[in-house]
Amino acid sequence: MNRVSSVVVRDGARRLCAAAVFVWLPLALFVTSNGGWSAAQVRVPSNVAWTQATLEAASNGDPFRGLLLARRCDHCHGSEGFSSDPAIPNLASMDKLTIWKQLDDFRSDKRTSLLMRAIASELSSQDSADLAAYYSMLPISPDPEDKRAFPQDSPVAANVAVAARLVTLGDGLRGIPPCQACHGPVGYVRGAPSLATQNGAYIRSQLEGFAGGLRTNDINMPMRSIATRLTEEEIQALADYYGAGLGMLPAGATQPK
Amino acid sequence: MFNWTGKGNLAESSPTPLKNFRFPSAIVLFTLVWLTVRFPFQFEAAVGHVLGTENRLDPASLHLRGEFVENNLGSAREADGSVTVRMIAQQYVFVPQCVLIPAGVPVRFRITSADAAHELTVSGTDYQIKVVPGAVSEARFRFPHAGEYPMPCHEFCGPGHYTMRATLVVVPRDQFRTLSPDERVTCESR
Repeated sequence: MNRVSSVVVRDGARRLCAAAVFVWLPLALFVTSNGGWSAAQVRVPSNVAWTQATLEAASNGDPFRGLLLARRCDHCHGSEGFSSDPAIPNLASMDKLTIWKQLDDFRSDKRTSLLMRAIASELSSQDSADLAAYYSMLPISPDPEDKRAFPQDSPVAANVAVAARLVTLGDGLRGIPPCQACHGPVGYVRGAPSLATQNGAYIRSQLEGFAGGLRTNDINMPMRSIATRLTEEEIQALADYYGAGLGMLPAGATQPK
Repeated sequence: MFNWTGKGNLAESSPTPLKNFRFPSAIVLFTLVWLTVRFPFQFEAAVGHVLGTENRLDPASLHLRGEFVENNLGSAREADGSVTVRMIAQQYVFVPQCVLIPAGVPVRFRITSADAAHELTVSGTDYQIKVVPGAVSEARFRFPHAGEYPMPCHEFCGPGHYTMRATLVVVPRDQFRTLSPDERVTCESR
């Protein structure tokens, strides 16, 4: 009996040693090889990732159901997707993926807004997709009956020249890409909002938010990188340019004569 | 036969050239062999490699998990004291857009793409790293002198390609402060 138990103990010790060599040692080496950096400290800008499943969930909404749901958005975003306050974004003809992602970010508090968080937390993923499908179908044609704030007054010609340059060409030496390469009409990147009919004051507040760290929900930080390189005057010029509806015209037509 | 040694001349040589052949000196032979062996590496040494397919990344989920989450980007100090720079290339910015490294020590670059094929090049040097989505590209570069090097994208990646440009700031070694293991540094957080 005594002999058997000592064999068991010796066997157990051998197993422990083996475990230490084959399990603990590689694990310890793996952890230290990563520079001591552990996955627990990850800062996630947005829970949304554009995987195939997410793309399908976000883009296959029912626009009619969205139309019914959108009645609670009317008060601020306007009954036709154009708000009466230039600080509030227009949603007519907005990119589907953008609406879906922003609602998800409001829900998970990745994008900070007390009001939108309360509203978005009552919406399911399907509701967001339906709203996205509805707003992306709304036309951008003018309506004199509607009390929309868009378009705002035309900016001064000098500012138009500054903005038109950034929108169409960007600034290569400073690493600022042209806005239209991602936000349309020249190029498109998943989740990038269309800016052609966006309000100036809203664009300004968002660029300042990206630059100042108040808005941090852009995946892989493109907008935070770009907005920190824009000057205060350039942000104002861009806001005026898009707010005046110049983003809708072909690029050459916006150059001052 | 051409006379490698330089001794004698063609006028003195006999009508049958092979008879006049003298074996090249050791120095000439060594130079030839060395060039033959070394020449291909002259190109290979400056180019980053796309690492194998065993560590595939999901380009859409870089910000959720793995080593390319946003607070792991930038220059980091490894356990052995060396410096590793982690970057993401995407349409149309490199993140971080300004990279800070010390001069004179080998720096390991690890880059992946979130969308299309890109190529990071360092102006004024022959350093370049091809970047493709789904895989990590790695290179070990050494910058002997402090200075600022523009790093434009060298692979057409879309309508904003020509503005895709990061900056590499190389500072003297004593100005690059010692980082704690989970500290990441860029030009902005210098």
